[in-house]
Amino acid sequence: MDIAKYRTLFLEEATEHLAEIGQALLTLEKDPRASAEIDTVFRLMHSMKGMGASLGYDAVSALAHRLEDRLGAWRKGGRIDDAEGVAVLFRGLESLERMVAIVRETGEPPPPDAALLAALDDPESPKKVRRLS
Amino acid sequence: MTVRVLVADDARFMRQLIRDIIEPEGFEVVGEAADGRAAVEEFSRLQPDIVTMDIVMPKRSGIDAVKEILALDPTAKVAMVSALGQESLVTEALQAGASDYIVKPFKPDAVIETLRKLAEKAP
Repeated sequence: MDIAKYRTLFLEEATEHLAEIGQALLTLEKDPRASAEIDTVFRLMHSMKGMGASLGYDAVSALAHRLEDRLGAWRKGGRIDDAEGVAVLFRGLESLERMVAIVRETGEPPPPDAALLAALDDPESPKKVRRLS
Repeated sequence: MTVRVLVADDARFMRQLIRDIIEPEGFEVVGEAADGRAAVEEFSRLQPDIVTMDIVMPKRSGIDAVKEILALDPTAKVAMVSALGQESLVTEALQAGASDYIVKPFKPDAVIETLRKLAEKAP
């Protein structure tokens, strides 16, 4: 695998994905039932997970995976069902943006956002994620 | 004879990765599709020997695209591309008529073996 070539592809595509996720979150902030936007964020998190895993960027794939799982549950319910759900997604987006910036600047795998992962694994996660922001 | 492959995935990264894995092994990527609807259209137009089909795609999911492709050609050979945690979707795709599946992140040998097996399989 030509790592440099795939790193470039990752940086291009991840940057596009994160911008698209940001746009969708702005809509979801106003309308937590916006199903097209929930689908979009779910799909793009899935894609971030796959790219991260392919390049050994475990921090990216682990965080995108957790957020994808959360979105999968919201998708089934037809809405982001807690008041702070969008805040969780914004916090995840911010963390993924930081990880992509680290890859861009150093060419190295970024470190995990352990605090966010731990908060996402907790049933009380929205409140805990909120406190991290 | 060269085996002609259509690669359907919404991520350019993944389409390129599959291409780079299979082309040195003698497969020819005859087309790419970035969503489920385009996958069906490109299948009709190109008549590939094998399709690799991502599950999570915009406009039409990979599973719906498989169903449409098989309605057009019941002998079509489609390998689903799945991630860990998508076992139930893979099962649904296989029940809908997909021939096999490959798992992300890709292990090149496993991808090639799966496509070779499909290429040799009678229609």
